[in-house]
Amino acid sequence: MAELHLVEAVNLALAHALAHDPDVVLLGEDIGVNGGVFRATVGLQARFGEARVIDTPLAEGGIVGAAIGMAAMGLKPVAEIQFAGFIYPAIDNILNHAGHMRHRTRGRLGCPMVVRAPSGAGIHAPEHHSESPEAMFAHMPGIRVVMPSSPARAYGLLLAAIRDPDPVIFLEPTRLYRLFRQEVPDDGEALPLDACFTLRDGADLTLVSWGAMLQEALAAADQLADEGIGAAVIDVATLKPLDMDTILESVARSGRCVIVHEAPRTAGLGAEIAANLADAGLYSLSAPVQRVTGYDTVVPLARLEHSYLPSVARIVDAARRALAA
Amino acid sequence: MRTFKLPDLGEGLQEAEIVAWHVKPGDSVAADEPLLSVETAKAIVEIPSPFSGQVAKLFAQPGDIVHLGAPLVGFEGVGSAQDDAGTVVGAVKVGTQVLAEAAAPLGPGGAHGIKATPAVRALARKLSVDLAMVTPSGHDGLITATDVQRVATTLADLGPAEVVRGVRRAMAQNMARAQSEVAAATVMDDADLHAWQQDAGPGNDITIRLVRALVAGVHAEPGLNAWYEGQSGRRHVLERIDVGIAADLPEGLFVPVLRNVGKRDAADLRTGLDRMRADIVARTIAPEEMRGNTITLSNFGMIAGRYAAPIVVPPTVAILGAGRIRDEVVAAGGQPAVHRVMPLSLTFDHRVVTGGEAARFLRAVIADLERPA
Amino acid sequence: MDTVARFEIGFTRYLSAQGTASPDLPPFARDPAALLPLYRAMVLTRQFDLKAIAMQRTGQIGTFASALGQEAIGVGVASAMLPDDVLVPSYRDHAAQFVRGVTMTESLLYWGGDERGSGFAAAPHDFGNCVPIGTQVGHGAGVAYAFQLRGQPRVAVTIVGDGGTSKGDFYEGMNMAGAWHVPLVIVVNNNQWAISMPRSKQTAAQTLAQKAIAAGIPGEQVDGNDVIAVRHRVGEAIDRARAGGGPTLIEAVTYRLGDHTTADDASRYRDEATVKAAWAQEPIVRLRDYLAAQGAWDPGREEALIRECQQAVAAAVDAYLALPPPDTGAMFDCLYATLPAALEAQREMARQYQTTPPGAHHG
Repeated sequence: MAELHLVEAVNLALAHALAHDPDVVLLGEDIGVNGGVFRATVGLQARFGEARVIDTPLAEGGIVGAAIGMAAMGLKPVAEIQFAGFIYPAIDNILNHAGHMRHRTRGRLGCPMVVRAPSGAGIHAPEHHSESPEAMFAHMPGIRVVMPSSPARAYGLLLAAIRDPDPVIFLEPTRLYRLFRQEVPDDGEALPLDACFTLRDGADLTLVSWGAMLQEALAAADQLADEGIGAAVIDVATLKPLDMDTILESVARSGRCVIVHEAPRTAGLGAEIAANLADAGLYSLSAPVQRVTGYDTVVPLARLEHSYLPSVARIVDAARRALAA
Repeated sequence: MRTFKLPDLGEGLQEAEIVAWHVKPGDSVAADEPLLSVETAKAIVEIPSPFSGQVAKLFAQPGDIVHLGAPLVGFEGVGSAQDDAGTVVGAVKVGTQVLAEAAAPLGPGGAHGIKATPAVRALARKLSVDLAMVTPSGHDGLITATDVQRVATTLADLGPAEVVRGVRRAMAQNMARAQSEVAAATVMDDADLHAWQQDAGPGNDITIRLVRALVAGVHAEPGLNAWYEGQSGRRHVLERIDVGIAADLPEGLFVPVLRNVGKRDAADLRTGLDRMRADIVARTIAPEEMRGNTITLSNFGMIAGRYAAPIVVPPTVAILGAGRIRDEVVAAGGQPAVHRVMPLSLTFDHRVVTGGEAARFLRAVIADLERPA
Repeated sequence: MDTVARFEIGFTRYLSAQGTASPDLPPFARDPAALLPLYRAMVLTRQFDLKAIAMQRTGQIGTFASALGQEAIGVGVASAMLPDDVLVPSYRDHAAQFVRGVTMTESLLYWGGDERGSGFAAAPHDFGNCVPIGTQVGHGAGVAYAFQLRGQPRVAVTIVGDGGTSKGDFYEGMNMAGAWHVPLVIVVNNNQWAISMPRSKQTAAQTLAQKAIAAGIPGEQVDGNDVIAVRHRVGEAIDRARAGGGPTLIEAVTYRLGDHTTADDASRYRDEATVKAAWAQEPIVRLRDYLAAQGAWDPGREEALIRECQQAVAAAVDAYLALPPPDTGAMFDCLYATLPAALEAQREMARQYQTTPPGAHHG
């Protein structure tokens, strides 16, 4: 069994899907001959042909529009948008068409489409390559938003997304693409969508996060553990629809919650989770819910990027605030 | 101008030839009155006016063929707001209400409040503990569950608390409000009463002398006989002096008002005072008699006490407190002597009364009190 | 400077505004009787259109986009398609939709505000009306790609307005279709108006057909009021696509005789003299005159057809009015293949708080 980077796990899942389902096609810029700018699709065009691994013209809106047409005819297109920062031209098609297709035709036409994009900051990229738009998509009816945090979960969740009959926006944390390896069996097993993964158990504090920030959340949990504080760590994974049951159950035990995301604070998904905690978990809470987030600013370029992303120190301090109350 | 277009004539007809107009520009026409006759492939049809109005313009002439939806007649004075649907999809409702809105205060109201988590609040409710009675021990003034439990235990030992009602409740509310609004300051002094004549009749009744002295104070400094409204920063300096006289009864504090004391003589004042007292004791005093005082007198010295800082209740701005008259050794003409002395305390609302005004008021009060009669 | 490319845009008309036919009619049109179905379809569309406008005025449906004067485009396009082809329309294409098997009742449901109107029982693969302008072209490219990938002899046909050709989505979709060489036919309904924007201000391009040149695909114009020309040229393009010849763009030149929608008042921005002149070019009268001149039509048959169409329209209206509004929970039905648990509470709340709209008729 191979130990894979996250981006390799994506490749493995795509290959499995292409091999086992003739309706699966990939499309995107530079995904064929070049294998994708992050090599997520390396080798796939050679193996499955140009007709199923399509190098598209440069047109993010059009790529997703064409994918919608394909999906309506029963293909299962997986469209790659080269960076989450370039996904915005496709929002019209994602919101107005993908999210509406099944609903407006009363189920006659569906949209079993996946749109994948590298997302998030931390790779010292030029402008516009560090976006975290998951909250924007979570606000749209009729779609799912998924973000893996490990190679194994990338494999399993991507397979689940491809097999799901509804549109999925699959945001891959760029910073995690090659950060560490993990054993990923190529068994074609999908992981459940709409469910959180509890990465660590703990009764004193609940840390909730997704994507690359789980690295910092886990490090913070380690530091707290050294002080005898047991922090549970939950990977939300499917950002929409949210599995609040898992989070509520953990908070019922700990009474204290710290949510960590790199996306900007205002109207980020931390606010959604906090509101749900206030709604259904208020009487379990012993302290205000803490949100440790990116600031409400443009993600700075490389020289300041490290100060933008929530640090382990910020997370630990937030945990202490929650524990002090 | 509102345009009336050739409507659907039914039967799939899409055009019609104008035969004759029944109106001309300038005519007033009522709804459903015939406007024109048109000939279709089938018949000659009268087209009625869809509403009342004045004809401004005719868009076609007899003999013209007009298609469905083509303009026929322009109407004046039907209200240009209706001319244009003002949208390209749906229907944007047009309302006629005119919104009249008082200016809303801007910004945050000012937070006070007791800090406790919902879980602690629920516990307090369950244990019947008023959170206002709980001293917080938590971080940043937070009431903890332990704090609540401690108070619950204490209260359990005490037995049930009585609910404060009626006059006491009113006093609690008024004094709390006064305390939070008024910037109270107090000046104290003594009046030397040795000049008072004995048996000088109703005029030497201590309460009446105090009321008279109060009037003298108001004449010296009218600003202490005023109403001040803190929120809007407005003050009414009042000519008429209505004195609230604090009265202590078993039920609690009553403050009936002796009206227009500046214009009444001593005998009249005494009669009024006695009647008021009788009514209070009999609980027949009307609520209006306890409202609207412009200044207050508290003669607590009838019981005990020397100096005090009594509470100024808004909208009044001053309260004079008279303590127990006592014999005291004073310096008179360079020699020690025993004189009757009345301690005086004047508490004033320093938002609107200056120390100088208060001092001059008190000086006039003392000067009047020190007169023989 | 050398010339590296030139372009030519052809224009096709067979039937003049006066109802005279050119001598070289395409084969299908040589027998006038073969044109009767096209004529009937246009008349039915017109009858429906007028009825729909009247229903909007009386509050029985909501905003409606009339296709007045453009009947030849939809009828010509759809009659050139095979049942397994797929229509990816704009929102003004009920003429085509009716030929494809969409019912008038479904159309009334759509405009009346009921999602069941896109249920298309008899046209299961066609896309519904597309409101985000021009996005349908990209969808059409994807549909055509699916046919090509699967080796199916099916063609996607998309219709877009003159305003839509200014949209990036139009170009992106057309460009991809050309790059992929997929079986897509793009029909531009150039009715001269994008709400209040006249064609002359929409673009500096002399024709809209020439925008195809930029995508490297054939582009041509037809007289959009000549159903024979539309049917023929679109048919040729569909055949070519079906045979692997790639996409084509056909600009059908017509005139929007009605308002943009029932909430629009076109007299605000265009003068009636021009509209009146445009009526003289309209598609139904010219075909009727031609058929009559060929002895294939007469007033009696016209009367009978009108009556028949009105009865069909009336029956569709009755069916629409008789259908009760959907259950409030329908808001959540079909949102996903399976409604996520997180939304079940919302569905319950919607049911609990459901109200009837004030003054409710249907829609």
